[in-house]
Amino acid sequence: MTERRLRRPSARKAVSADPEAVTGEVDPADVVAELAGDAAVELSEEIEEFEGVDQVSADASESGPSAGGWIARRGLIAIMVLGVIAAPLFYRGDAGQTKLTWMAIGLIYIIFGLSINVLVGYAGQISLGHQAFVGVGAFTSAYIVSVSHASFWVAFVLAGVSGAISAALLGFIALRLKGLFLALITLAYGTVAQFTLFNVSSLTGGGAGARAPRPAGFTSNMQFAYLCMAVTAALLYIDWRMVRSKVGRAIFAIRENELSAASFGINITAYKLLAFTVSGVFAGLGGSLFAHQQQLVQASSFDFTFALTLVLMVVVGGLGSRVGVLIGSTFFALFPLIFNAISLYTALIGAVALLLTLTRFQGGIAQQIAPILRWFGGGSLRKQRRSHVMQPGGEGVRP
Amino acid sequence: MSVLDVTNLGIRFGGLEALAEVNLSVREWEIVGLIGPNGAGKTTFFNCVMGVYKPSTGSVSYRGTELIGLPTHHRVTMGIGRTFQNIGLVKVLPVIENMLIAQHAKTNYGVLSSFFGTPSVLEEERTLRRNALEILDFMGLAPYRNAVVASLPYGLQKLTEIAAVLASDPEFLMLDEPTSGMSPEEAHAFGELLVRLRKELNLTVLMIEHHVPLVVAVCDYVYCLNFGRLLAEGKPDEIRRHPEVVAAYLGEEHATA
Repeated sequence: MTERRLRRPSARKAVSADPEAVTGEVDPADVVAELAGDAAVELSEEIEEFEGVDQVSADASESGPSAGGWIARRGLIAIMVLGVIAAPLFYRGDAGQTKLTWMAIGLIYIIFGLSINVLVGYAGQISLGHQAFVGVGAFTSAYIVSVSHASFWVAFVLAGVSGAISAALLGFIALRLKGLFLALITLAYGTVAQFTLFNVSSLTGGGAGARAPRPAGFTSNMQFAYLCMAVTAALLYIDWRMVRSKVGRAIFAIRENELSAASFGINITAYKLLAFTVSGVFAGLGGSLFAHQQQLVQASSFDFTFALTLVLMVVVGGLGSRVGVLIGSTFFALFPLIFNAISLYTALIGAVALLLTLTRFQGGIAQQIAPILRWFGGGSLRKQRRSHVMQPGGEGVRP
Repeated sequence: MSVLDVTNLGIRFGGLEALAEVNLSVREWEIVGLIGPNGAGKTTFFNCVMGVYKPSTGSVSYRGTELIGLPTHHRVTMGIGRTFQNIGLVKVLPVIENMLIAQHAKTNYGVLSSFFGTPSVLEEERTLRRNALEILDFMGLAPYRNAVVASLPYGLQKLTEIAAVLASDPEFLMLDEPTSGMSPEEAHAFGELLVRLRKELNLTVLMIEHHVPLVVAVCDYVYCLNFGRLLAEGKPDEIRRHPEVVAAYLGEEHATA
């Protein structure tokens, strides 16, 4: 472990120092490359954390890749990150506009995925009414911008707050109920929100919907895609830090065993509510972006199918795995758009993916791509001798 | 001075009287044993002290503070550490992560700063990791620090749990059958470790234990529970020869014979 940590900075320097040595002056492109390099370091550290779990003896497999191996790994991650950052610049014309829209939606779904993941993946709770939190955020944001004429940023923050409040309310119920009963309550919560709260005409415009204009400075599809990208990146960072702090650990511990968590001094009530609150903030912020991306929010968007898709994409992606959630969310957001599929196909693909996940690969996509993640984290592509691969977030992933 | 003072403790589950009129006290620096046949109410007693159950009668005071009514996590911050009969660790996580979880109560950074990875958070996380490794080293568990708990043999899991509880800096340790699943040799080694821990960390211990040689070797005082009531108390040697204790463990004939 220590050896690897010591090696890292030098490898990183090798990546970033190269272009500067050649040009001798600071190029904006280099700054972007530097930023991407940083992101790459963080990402591979995270992957290492994710994958480092299955080494039984620290002494045995500590050698790690060579400096060149690290450059290759970091370089690939940097290229991927840069690719995503630069992609909108290359989308031109009408087709480009469509792609920019897809990109924004994909990013917003990643935020939804992170939100669900905090609750279902990390805290082990169930939410079949997540559309309520998203919807509350969306309508709050729309109302504040179009009726109160306040700035988007005020609306954005308040959307997060309202999402948090609506989720915390459900959290209080979750303190008393578990499993099937909680699932039913969340289901009812979401459905009731859709049919009553979201149909109060004075607040949400009723059936006609509420207008949610794009914020100033982010009116074009490209600008809005970058806004979504920034918010998603920030939330990914927050999620990453949370997992590696006492908050994340407390939430994991409660999921596994409340009794022993309490005897380690963890306040069960507070941290359960916190998990709901964090999930609600993410959902509310995502809802706000969703509203202003669509520019018109309607109660009918927040139906049970939507809630089901949210849970499905996280389960198929891999519960508790950030990379898995990223992939799952993107897939479920973009598949219906790209293939212009009617909902039957989407439902079919979703059902098949879910069945495969539940019966064969409970770790979801994250489990499928584990060797790749392991490689990025500095391991080898081959399967390691030890077979107790347990993900920090996943429950009972089979070896 | 008494560390733990339990007076007239009783708890009922419906018609079942799980504990009644239990009086027990643990003094500073003692290792006190709590023995009794299966179902005698030993673990229930621990749960009452830790606030998992709310006793119907009696009082539990820790260094003069009444504990009844306080939530479990609050009792932990007062310096009580507890282990479980069936291992209270997050078994899907590596040993080191469990050691960090165990230090939750003494982690000082704010909840809000946890989300942003501020320098103070990173600094303290490093300290927590250092503490964890130090304790693992002390317990001889350092080579297993990155192993998932579930992948370890049972005896090592037990030791890991004790390491984790020690990481939370307790002054008073409550161990629930620490040597179950250990061989007699391992149990003996554990007894030596316990005495060493008391000496070096200034601990007071209350432990549920069935392994009689260990109880005789390390305990200063022993309480014996049977059917929820205190059957006997005294020095380990007295308890071992106490006719009623022998009867409770082995049946009536052995006692009278």
